[in-house]
Amino acid sequence: MKKDDLIPFDQNDDGIDRAGFLKCMAWAGTGLFCLMSGGVLKSYGMSQIIDKTTGRIKKDIQIEKADFSFAQISDSHIGFNKPANPDVVATLQASISKINAMPTAPSFVLHTGDLSHLAQADEFDTLDQAMKSAKTGRIFYVPGEHDVLNDNGKQYLQRYGKDSKGSGWYSFDFNGVRFIGLVNVIDTAEGGLGVLGNEQLNWLENDVKGLSSSTPIVVFAHIPLWAVYPQWGWGTRDSAQALSYLKRFGSVSVLNGHIHQTLQKVEGNITFHTATSTAFPQPQPGAAPSAGPMKVPAEQLRNLLGITTVSYIEHNHTLAVTDIPLSNSDEKQPEHQ
Amino acid sequence: MQFRKKYVVILLLACTVTLLVAALPSRKEKFKNLKVLPENISSKDLSRVMIDDFEDGLGVSCAFCHAQETDSLRLDYASDAKPEKQIARRMMQMTIGINRKFFNLKHPKIGDSTLVISCITCHNGQPRPGDETK
Repeated sequence: MKKDDLIPFDQNDDGIDRAGFLKCMAWAGTGLFCLMSGGVLKSYGMSQIIDKTTGRIKKDIQIEKADFSFAQISDSHIGFNKPANPDVVATLQASISKINAMPTAPSFVLHTGDLSHLAQADEFDTLDQAMKSAKTGRIFYVPGEHDVLNDNGKQYLQRYGKDSKGSGWYSFDFNGVRFIGLVNVIDTAEGGLGVLGNEQLNWLENDVKGLSSSTPIVVFAHIPLWAVYPQWGWGTRDSAQALSYLKRFGSVSVLNGHIHQTLQKVEGNITFHTATSTAFPQPQPGAAPSAGPMKVPAEQLRNLLGITTVSYIEHNHTLAVTDIPLSNSDEKQPEHQ
Repeated sequence: MQFRKKYVVILLLACTVTLLVAALPSRKEKFKNLKVLPENISSKDLSRVMIDDFEDGLGVSCAFCHAQETDSLRLDYASDAKPEKQIARRMMQMTIGINRKFFNLKHPKIGDSTLVISCITCHNGQPRPGDETK
């Protein structure tokens, strides 16, 4: 990160102020490549690293070969049909095509919630049908608040949470990395903030207790686990407690959705990253009276939707995060060399 | 032999009827304590009103009107403990009344796309119209 990108006025002690936030937002939608090494994040605009004539990574940029990769997809909102995007199935399928076009198939896909718009059985069916076409080993889910409407998540749990704990949280290991899926949309707080709750926090504490501090950790949940913009409910009330259990680990990556735009922040050993939606964009924090579907000119929509891919390099425990907008559907994907 | 065939036919008919009944649309869910919205509203229609009219129209989340359960942080959707819920009911009645009285809609319903005036007309993403500080 350049010196100019530092955020000098950190009033809320959350590593971000309005000016800094707008700087981050300038990256959004253009695609972002991030490499984390030893807790230090190097980020590049996609335009900086992609050769426009070939669609591949520029020759003078070295990217280490990954041991495995996975993709993150978020906020599909199947069932949404307003002017902000009347065909969310098509944009989900375009996102899946992006995954399928990757040079190496991702080992698995994480869906970070809001699979459906109204938590209806037919919406979940449509999502399942579309996700079947993703060329990957497995798909892991966590719920968004739209997936638990009216029934506090019973239907979601029946469909996607069979092997999970509580309201759908779980963890698994892959190639020495601990992945932890958290649920912060069942319990509620004023203003729409996410809540993890004591039961889940106790489980998390125990889940990581026996792990070596060198174990890389990836946490994924729907609502951001950092205070992106609490005025719009873009944060989780008790996330500090959860993160305190992860402070001793050398590499922690937190992947979220909910806000429908890419943002990231590094705080010590923890890198926070939010993903774009596959359905519709939302305004930048404070740029509209409230959060909600944002209509943009049709030709701009796919610039603001997309997927995130993450590559893991074992020997130095690095995670490289790349956001890929849907707009460059005709371009070749960058190769990880 | 003839007797056995008869049983097979009856069994097949019974299976067909059972499958047809199962394939019919299920009875609409009953939600508790609906006073303005129709009692037999479907889950989809109810969710659409909550998301499109209230969440997007007022820029609020469910907990703005719905109270939590007494022993957990989960929402008790049927509870009337929060005054905001009663205000929301009055607002829905007002919206229906305006559409009927001033725009001559015969059977205005909240969530209906034919409404001339809906929540967002005045709220425009704010819990209280005109309140920029929120």
